[in-house]
Amino acid sequence: MDVKYINPFLTSFKNVMPQIGFEKVEKGKININEGELITDGVLIIVGIVGDLKGNVIYSLTTEDAKKIASKMMMGMEVAEFDEMAQSAISELSNMLTANASIEFSIMDININISTPTLMYGSNIKTKFNTPKLLCIELLVDNIPIEINIAIN
Amino acid sequence: MTKKRVVVVDDSYFSIVLIKDILEKNGFEVVGQASSLEEVISVVSDSKPDIVTMDVTMPDTDGFQCTKEVHKIDKNIKVIMISAMMDEEMLKKAKEHNVDAYVQKPIDEDNLILAINRIMEDKEQFKTFQNLYLPVFKEAFADALNKMTKTIPNFIDEHLSNDLLKSKGISVVVGIIGKYSGRMILDMSIETATILSSKALRRETNNSNEVMAVIGEFTNIVSGNACSILNRQNKVLGLRVSPPSIFSGDSLTVSSVKFKTFLVKINTDFGEMVLNIGFSDGDAQWM
Repeated sequence: MDVKYINPFLTSFKNVMPQIGFEKVEKGKININEGELITDGVLIIVGIVGDLKGNVIYSLTTEDAKKIASKMMMGMEVAEFDEMAQSAISELSNMLTANASIEFSIMDININISTPTLMYGSNIKTKFNTPKLLCIELLVDNIPIEINIAIN
Repeated sequence: MTKKRVVVVDDSYFSIVLIKDILEKNGFEVVGQASSLEEVISVVSDSKPDIVTMDVTMPDTDGFQCTKEVHKIDKNIKVIMISAMMDEEMLKKAKEHNVDAYVQKPIDEDNLILAINRIMEDKEQFKTFQNLYLPVFKEAFADALNKMTKTIPNFIDEHLSNDLLKSKGISVVVGIIGKYSGRMILDMSIETATILSSKALRRETNNSNEVMAVIGEFTNIVSGNACSILNRQNKVLGLRVSPPSIFSGDSLTVSSVKFKTFLVKINTDFGEMVLNIGFSDGDAQWM
């Protein structure tokens, strides 16, 4: 797993997050995971084809997803992770991955992305097609969002 | 279907004639041509085309500046950049300027027409596709199941909606990328997955890694075969699939708020499965 995949996502967060009202984006933990991923809350899966093939999976808690959706909806209160909030978070992950794909193209890596699939639940086990998984935690105004990159 | 209207922007007479000929031969109507920024603004304002083909290097201006002006007039006009230069810097700049497609000179007729057809957002075309893809996915599912297990599935119910998909235990997700972007999900209980895997492996298995590998590959085969069939029917589609990711968990729910998806209930010898497929009518992927 190549760590050079980190920067396109970091840059895309720094490009996109301020547009929806967040101030700071910081790098958190980075690790390489083997085997399966276990998470609670919300997952958004975006497929990738092109020079790279795989999936990017964003993971965050339901509470944090509600906070971000609220910010995206001009501060409107989000009590439930309802359709509106799901739609906002899907759109955000689409924007982030599309922006990262532009950053990849600067590295001469051309990729195309699928529409995001959003899921939620608890104790979700995820299994990827790759033996290793690059996990990057980014803190957006202290809200942690985990980006899991499974690319061949 | 009405002819799509095109303005050709290029500073070379040769290129204009060439592009015009290709477009007219393929059923497009060339409504104007321009070789400078002023001409672009006046011709595009007057003719209100669906598409502009855009040269990059021109005297006193460039294709990017002209694209900005075109979108000021109408942001829905599709711009196809045609240039001898094609490198990552140019592509990045083109993306930043909301260029819809990029074709390299010397112009290949098939490439240019394919690029135009891919980006044209045609509601009629999407409707046709919406009616076309489901039978292909069902057939690919039936065929794969039959080849792997020698059994025949029974499709019992299908509908197109924004409904949530409540997982029975395991959801395998495949992203689909091409003219239309979408996803396919195959959902079943862990028990169903285990019996299906034993049958496909022709021996008992309870090993969850093996089970996951089998249903991952099964989903990959169904989605890959279906997309290949659709691509053969219409090469404009250019569908490709991302590798499967497999999810299991408590009260796992799949959202479908962004676009409508088909939920197909299937009875198999191994238990009930749900095939979920949907495509969004949004912007086509870039090249």
